[in-house]
Amino acid sequence: MKYHVKRPIRWKLILLITLPILIVYALIVFFNSYWNRKTALQQMKDYLIELTGHHAANLDTEFAIISQAPQNLAEVISSLNVTDSEDIFRLIENAIDNNPYIHGLTVAYEPKAFQNKRFFAPHIRKIESELQRRDLSGFGDYTLQDWYSIPALLGRSYWTEPYYQQDNGRELMCTFSVPVFKNGNLIAIAAADISLDDIKDRMGNISIMAGYTFLLSQHGTYIYHPNPNDIMKETIFSKAEKYNLPVMREFGKEMISGKSSVQSFPDPITAYRQWMVYTPISTNGWTLSAVVPENDVFTAVDAILIKHIILMITGLIVIIVIIVFASLNITRPIRNLVEMAEELSTGNLDVRMEDIKGEDEIHELAVVFNKMVQDLKHYIHDLTNATREKESVESELRIARSIQESLIPRIFPPFPDRSEFALFARNLPAKEVAGDFYDFFFLDHDNLILVIADVSGKGVSASLFMAVTKTLIKAKANEVDRPDKIMQEVNFELCQENDSAMFVTTFMAAFNVKTGVLSYCNAGHNPPYLIDNTGKVSQLPNTEGMALGVWEECQYSLQKITLQKNDIVFFYTDGINEAMDIDNNEFSYERLEEFLTTINDQVPRKITEMTLQTVKDFTGEAEQSDDITLMVLKYLLG
Amino acid sequence: MKKIALIILIVVSCRIFSEQRTLSFMMHWFPQAQFAGYIMAYEKGFFREADLDVELLFSDGTCSPLQKVNSGEIDFCTAWLSQAIVLRSNNWQIVNIGQILQKSSLMLVAKRSSGILTPSDMNGKRIGLWSGDFTIQPTAFFKKYDIDFIEIKQSYNIHGFLADAWQVASAMYYNEYYKMILAGWDESDLITFFFDEFDLNFPEDGIYTNETFLRQNEDICKKLCQAVLSGWEYAFQNKEETLQFVLDYCDRYNMQTNYSAQKWMLDVIERSIKFNTSEQKEDWGKISQTTYFDMVKILKDQDLIDSVPNFKTFFWRTE
Repeated sequence: MKYHVKRPIRWKLILLITLPILIVYALIVFFNSYWNRKTALQQMKDYLIELTGHHAANLDTEFAIISQAPQNLAEVISSLNVTDSEDIFRLIENAIDNNPYIHGLTVAYEPKAFQNKRFFAPHIRKIESELQRRDLSGFGDYTLQDWYSIPALLGRSYWTEPYYQQDNGRELMCTFSVPVFKNGNLIAIAAADISLDDIKDRMGNISIMAGYTFLLSQHGTYIYHPNPNDIMKETIFSKAEKYNLPVMREFGKEMISGKSSVQSFPDPITAYRQWMVYTPISTNGWTLSAVVPENDVFTAVDAILIKHIILMITGLIVIIVIIVFASLNITRPIRNLVEMAEELSTGNLDVRMEDIKGEDEIHELAVVFNKMVQDLKHYIHDLTNATREKESVESELRIARSIQESLIPRIFPPFPDRSEFALFARNLPAKEVAGDFYDFFFLDHDNLILVIADVSGKGVSASLFMAVTKTLIKAKANEVDRPDKIMQEVNFELCQENDSAMFVTTFMAAFNVKTGVLSYCNAGHNPPYLIDNTGKVSQLPNTEGMALGVWEECQYSLQKITLQKNDIVFFYTDGINEAMDIDNNEFSYERLEEFLTTINDQVPRKITEMTLQTVKDFTGEAEQSDDITLMVLKYLLG
Repeated sequence: MKKIALIILIVVSCRIFSEQRTLSFMMHWFPQAQFAGYIMAYEKGFFREADLDVELLFSDGTCSPLQKVNSGEIDFCTAWLSQAIVLRSNNWQIVNIGQILQKSSLMLVAKRSSGILTPSDMNGKRIGLWSGDFTIQPTAFFKKYDIDFIEIKQSYNIHGFLADAWQVASAMYYNEYYKMILAGWDESDLITFFFDEFDLNFPEDGIYTNETFLRQNEDICKKLCQAVLSGWEYAFQNKEETLQFVLDYCDRYNMQTNYSAQKWMLDVIERSIKFNTSEQKEDWGKISQTTYFDMVKILKDQDLIDSVPNFKTFFWRTE
C-alpha cells in the first residue's frame, strides 16, 4: 500500500527556513532601498543646488560684464562734454567692441539734450561681428519705451523684461539701461541690448538626468523653458493658476523675491512628485531653476532594488532546491521505514532496514526498528507456542466440560412418566468447566432427591471437586435417606485430606411427590425460593450447617415444608443474584424476588428461560463473572 | 419678354452677389478673449448659418477700425463707445448696431505698499495713463476728486508700474490687472479703483457699421448682431473649447499670452456682457439712454463733443 503524507517534512523545512530568510532579506532590501533613496534624493538636491548655483554664477558674471559697458559709457558721457555725434558713435563702438556679450549699445538722449535735437539716440549693433551705426530716433519716440522711461523715472539702472526684437528676425532680447546725469540732470540713457537666444541655447544644453532647467524673469515670465510654447507666454504664476497649484505660486513669489530653495511639488499632469531647486541671478533679479522628477532620481536606486530582488529570488530558489534535496535525503530512510512498517503491518516479519549510513538519529531509529522487528518476531514465536499450548489446554477443558456435562442430568423432562411434578434445570459455566452443579434422582418410587451446589473457585479444580461431591452425594444417598444425614456423611468425606481447602455450598432436598413434603438441608447455600400457587414469593427457612468440606464435625439440621398444587421451588446459585452489569451493579435478591412474583403460572422450562433472559438483559454486554445454575420444581398434585 | 427676363436675371444675380459678398468685420485690437464671441460666431458657423460670409480681421493698434467703417473700407468693426460718440458727434457715418460690453473694465491700480488707499492719496503721485479714449474716465475721475498728479505716459505693459517707476497704473481689469496677478502680485497687495464704481461707467466694446450700409442691409446687420450674440452665448457655455480657439488665434498673431490670462479675460467679459441684464442673449447688446446720457455729459464736460448724437439714430439696437 502506498502511503500518503499530507504535510511532508520538506514543506515544513522549506517554510521554516525560507520564510525567515525571506522576511529578513525583504527587510534588508526595504531598508537598504529606503536609505539609498534618501541618499540619492539628498545627492540629487546637492547636485541641483551646485548645478544651478554654477550656472547662475556664470550668468551673473556675464550680466555683470554686460552692465559694465553702459555704466562706463554713462560715466564717460557724464564726465566729458561730448558735442560731436561722431565722437558719441566712436565711444559707443569702443564700448561694444570690448564687450563680447552685447548685441547693441546706445546712448539715447533726452529730448533737446544733444545739440538741441528733438531726439538723438546713436545706436551701434553687431551684425555678424560688423558694427552698424544708426539713430534710434528714426523709430519714433523712444522715451516711451521701457528701456528708456523706466530707468529715467527710477533714476537708476534697470534690466528690462525680455522682449522680442523684430528688426533682425524674431530675436529674444533684453536691455540693460543706465541713466546718464550731468549736473544732477538726466541727459541720456545708456542702454545695452543682449540677445537671449544664446542663453536659451546654453540653458537647453544643461543636462540634468531626465529633468530640465528654466529661467524666469524678474516678473516670473519664462525666458527659457524646454517647452518653447511657454517662453515669453507663461509665467510661473499663470502655470500655477492653470494647474491649480497654489504651492507653485508661493514658490514663484519666493523666486522673484530673490530667494533660493529646494522644494517638491506634484507634477500637474502626471501627479508624480517633482523636485525643484531655484537660485537667483542677483544682477538682474532673474531666477535659474532646475526640476527633476523624483522617479528619475530613484531610477538607479530602483534598478539596484530590482537586482536585489532578482538576487533574492534566485537565492531563495537555490535554498529551496537545497532544502528539497536535503529533506529528501533525510526523509528517505524515514519513508523506507514507513514503507517497512506498512509491510510489517501486513504480517511480513522479514523486513529489515539496510544500508543506513551515519551515526545520526535516523540510524538509531533504523537500529531500533530492526531490533523491534526482531523482538516482534520472537514474541510472535513465543505467542504462537503459548497459543498452541493454550489451545491444547482448552481442548482438554472442552473434554472435561463434556465429561462434567455428562455428570449432570441433561434430559428434560427427566421423568416423563411422572405427572406429579415438573422439573427443569440449567447450568451456565463462567469458564469452560463449572464449579456449580445440580442433580436429582429418585431414592425410591416416591422420594426425589434434589441437589444444587456451588464449589468454591472455578475451572478444572472446581469441576473435579464438584464431580467428587456429586458422586459422594449419590453414593451416600443410597446408604442414608435423610438429606441431613447425607450431608453429614458427604461433609465428613470431603473434609478428609482436603489440602486444597476447597468447599462446596450445597442445598439438598428430599421431595415426596405423593405427599408434597419437601425435607431439606442447607449447607451454606442460598436458600431457594418458594413461589406458592398464589404467586407469593418467600425464601425457604434456613437450616443449620456450614458449606461442605469446611469442618468435618459440622452438624446439619433438617427442615420440612409441604408443597401445595402449583407451588414452585426455585433453586439457584449465587451466579444469579450476584450477576453484574457493566457498571458492576449486582442483579441482587430484590430484582430476583421481584422477577419471581411474575412467574407462578409458568412451567419450569419457561421459568428457567425467563430467568436467564432477565439476568442477561440486566448484565448486558458485561462478561459472565460466575457460574449460573438454577433448578425449578413445580408440584402438580395436591 | 427677352428684356424682362434679362432684367430679372440681372436683379437676381445682384441679389445673389449681394448675399454672397464677404463682409469684413474688424476687431479693434489683437485677438484675445475680449473677442471670444466674435471668434466663436465665426468658428462655430453662426455667421454662415445666417447666410453671412464674414471675414474676421484684427487691428494691430496702428489703424482705426472706425475710420475704416466710416470710409466704407470695411463693413463692421468693434470699438469703444466713447470714441464712437466723439466721432459721431463729428458727423462720422457710424452707427452702433450692438453695445456688447455693458461695464467698464478700465481702472486704476496702486500697490498697497505705496500707501495709496483712496483717490486723494494719489495727489502728487506719478500716475501712468494711456492716451486717447483711455484718458476720458481718468480725467473725469481726477477732476471729481481734484487730484493733482504727475502724468506718466504709460506703455501697454505693467513693467514700469511693477518697477515702481510710477505709483498708479492704468489697467484693464480683464488684461493688465490680471497680468499683475500673473507677475506674482496678490489681489490683496493691490488697491483697485474701478471707474464704474465712481459713477464713471463707460460701456466699452460695441459693434459699428456705416450708416449707409445699415440702411441698405438692415437684415444683414440684424443677422450679424444675432450671430455675434450666439457666438458669445456659445463661448460662455463652452469656455474650454472657446479658450482653445482664442489661444490658437493668439498664437497666429504671436501674442504673448497664456491660458490663465485668457480664461480670466473671458470671465470678466462675461460679467461685463451680462452686467445689469439677464442670462438671455436676446437681452444682451443693448444700451440704456441713462447710461448714454451720463457718458455724453462727461464727454461734453471735457469738451470732447460739441453736439450730442441722437440716441435713436446712433443706436440701432436699443432697449
